[in-house]
Amino acid sequence: MRFTLLKDLRQDKAIKPLLNGLLLFMLMYFIADFFVVNATLGLFVSDIKLTLYGNIDEFIDPIDKSVFLEYIHGQIFFMMMILLTLSSVYARLCSIKYYSILVINILMLSALLTLISLFISYFYSQSFIYPYVLSYFIWHTTAFIMALHSLWNLNFATSL
Amino acid sequence: MQQAYKYSVVYFLAFSLLLLLSSLLLFDDKMTLSINGILQYYNGNADKFIIEKSWSTILKIILPHIFAFGLFLMVLLHFILFTKHKKSQLFSKLTYALFIVAFLEIFSPYFIIMGFDFFAYIKLISFILLELLILFTSWLLIASIFEF
Repeated sequence: MRFTLLKDLRQDKAIKPLLNGLLLFMLMYFIADFFVVNATLGLFVSDIKLTLYGNIDEFIDPIDKSVFLEYIHGQIFFMMMILLTLSSVYARLCSIKYYSILVINILMLSALLTLISLFISYFYSQSFIYPYVLSYFIWHTTAFIMALHSLWNLNFATSL
Repeated sequence: MQQAYKYSVVYFLAFSLLLLLSSLLLFDDKMTLSINGILQYYNGNADKFIIEKSWSTILKIILPHIFAFGLFLMVLLHFILFTKHKKSQLFSKLTYALFIVAFLEIFSPYFIIMGFDFFAYIKLISFILLELLILFTSWLLIASIFEF
């Protein structure tokens, strides 16, 4: 990617608006993802339990295995692409060595934990819904802050 | 490669493993890893209430995969350019092999519904081969990053 090779991004009139657009769309994606997940799987423990396992008293069927696998398969692909792009932009724009590595580790580990704990909570144990919800909010918050921090550094920092 | 990028690549490979695992589970859930299962899934089976797949149904399944396979393979393979393998024969062979196998995996269902049952073998072999080639590429990257 060209933005990883340029010396000063703020001086490059072509790349700067491109990265601004990319980061703004990423922010919109993170916000929209909340609403989509809320409408499909649910955002909180009780809603997720209802979607994954159903409820006999309320005549709600549990989610079908193939539907669940298709959902998580799509989620993995989208998350890996958006997080790779975001972490590359962030590493270039906010290159305080140890701090940026720590933030990238928190983002990626929480995102991986989100997927793994959702998988385990469907196939093995309901108690994994709690780490799923926690890690989901951690990776979303971290990603949101990273995108904002990158935008700030791209437009207002003195040098990159 | 900058230290932070190395972390990003390693995590990308971890996500790739999850993607492979979920695709394996999906394949097994829908078709089972057998020739009969694949033929039944595409040609239908009245006894088991499996509806045969039409051209448009297959197109709806493969459409996102055409883009996703292309993007995923390009991203995965371009990381090799940052390693010692970038000018090797292995890299070019791996690139051709991955894209050809992915093409066969995506388009073989059309030949199955046209009556060429032999393509069920192509579908199964290309799927397994694709998973193994992606694992091998990931291994090359991991070995280069951790220098062993």
